[in-house]
Amino acid sequence: MGYDILSKVIELTDSTDALEKRLKDVANLLAHAFAFDQCAVYLSDQDKHVLTLAVAVGSKRGCQEEYKENEGLPGLAIKKGSPIFATQSKPPNETWQGILDKGTNGFKTVVCYPIKDDWLHGVLYLKNKEKKAVTLKEKKLLSVIVLQLATAIKNYQCIINLRDINTKMKDMQDRLVNAEKLLALGEMAASLAHEIKNPLVSIGGFAKRLSQQMNLDSPHMSYVDRIVKEVSRLEKLMDGIVHFSKDESYVFLSEDINIIIEEAVAFFEDDFKRNGIAVVKELSLHVPKIDVDRQHLKLVFNNLMTNAIQAMEKGGTLTIQTYQEGSWIVTEIHDTGGGIDPNIISNIFNPFYTTKETGTGLGLAITHSIITNHKGIIEVNNNIGVGVTFVIKLPLSDKEGRILKAS
Amino acid sequence: MKEKILVVDDEEGLRLLYKEELEDEGLNVHVAASGEEAIAKLEKDKFDLIVLDIKMPGMDGIEVLRRVKEKWKNIPVILSTAYHHYKQEFGTWASDAYVVKSSDLKELKTTIKDILNMGRK
Ligand SMILES: Nc1ncnc2c1ncn2[C@@H]1O[C@H](COP(=O)(O)OP(=O)(O)O)[C@@H](O)[C@H]1O
Ligand SMILES: [Mg+2]
Repeated sequence: MGYDILSKVIELTDSTDALEKRLKDVANLLAHAFAFDQCAVYLSDQDKHVLTLAVAVGSKRGCQEEYKENEGLPGLAIKKGSPIFATQSKPPNETWQGILDKGTNGFKTVVCYPIKDDWLHGVLYLKNKEKKAVTLKEKKLLSVIVLQLATAIKNYQCIINLRDINTKMKDMQDRLVNAEKLLALGEMAASLAHEIKNPLVSIGGFAKRLSQQMNLDSPHMSYVDRIVKEVSRLEKLMDGIVHFSKDESYVFLSEDINIIIEEAVAFFEDDFKRNGIAVVKELSLHVPKIDVDRQHLKLVFNNLMTNAIQAMEKGGTLTIQTYQEGSWIVTEIHDTGGGIDPNIISNIFNPFYTTKETGTGLGLAITHSIITNHKGIIEVNNNIGVGVTFVIKLPLSDKEGRILKAS
Repeated sequence: MKEKILVVDDEEGLRLLYKEELEDEGLNVHVAASGEEAIAKLEKDKFDLIVLDIKMPGMDGIEVLRRVKEKWKNIPVILSTAYHHYKQEFGTWASDAYVVKSSDLKELKTTIKDILNMGRK
């Protein structure tokens, strides 16, 4: 029988079906060929050290979804690094009692093989309601089959990794194209920008004055408000475009990041009040000064707070934290504005990507470029339906690092 | 007593806007349309603060800033430009503050107030 089963297993594992389908076919085959009531395959997660049920055939009794590290019979088999065979007997034998696996309840014979080559990929778990003996020949056969399973799983993971790398490369390509577009755009725009900005400020500034002096019920109020809004959008657009032009330069000076944050928060005080947003500041008093460009960093906080305010039109809480983490100074800005649709989240740092009617889509693109220019990192933690946390990590300057170590 | 400030900008619309908005804030506002005019006014009058445009034909804001720091070094200067692209070699670090022009004058107003308050203490 050995050869037949083996060639069948090879045929099944080498098929082009999805991994799960192949594992299921093999499990079915093994349950029948070796006459077990239950046959399950668990796959291991390299990082989290847990085993997760991939497929199970036959009786579903006691079939756990997950085994943590060192848990149950699979844990034991992995620790031992070799298969375990156990049968319930009278008087109770030691192996059986040492298993401590709820999944063995109602079974009298259990077999568990680690699926591994250089890496651990998972376990094969076979159970039978009645006592049964597994012959030496069967054990040898199972060992070979498990090796074949390991190869199949490894190949599959290689393919997944390749796909991953492929998407990442595509992503990078897109970004490069974007960067090129921006450079060309920036050069052209920078020369025009100055001529445009001054009259814009004039138009917008006077429109604002007009709206302040107008009767609230004047029929012209909405016209003036429209002018104010559109001008402010054009201004932001111009700021954004110029930002990407080449002659943007940075001046790095040693600054207290908490003060820059306090200033940004103060700037939006009216907006917080109007939207009913509570501001919680948890600024660590112990963050050392770091070398930053104050104006640019202020722009970062302005952009992130503007987005948060816009996301919390009906109120909420804005939490700002600063703390030191190793050689990073970390700022977290957390809002309760409902979070970002996961379908669009990969776009939010792209220039001109916006979901807002009067958005420019430049806020986060600029923010990203400023943080990168500081050799920092920006991350977004999206809590769908709840809110967003933007995490900014800025490096401690060398000098500071040394002072810290010395003290 | 009202604090006296000098706004220097070559753009007529902006001079008018700044004058009206800042007067509403209770300031005594004078304007100059060029660097040369600004220096002339500084020679004659005493000011508590200067709002200075960088990009102007003729004597530009950086040159004005340099002269102010030589001759009237106690007068605080706020540089005002269309965009964020100031450069270190311009010597903008020598100014007391830096504000990007915007139709929303909030930032300019708070910056002026902060600097004047600091001077009072
Ligand atoms: N705090 C936030 N909450 C929800 N969505 C956000 C938040 N910040 C950014 N976004 C999303 O990212 C998009 C891009 O933001 P941004 O680059 O600042 O441009 P804009 O604000 O002009 O749309 C927004 O249109 C919005 O969909
Ligand atoms: Mg935005």
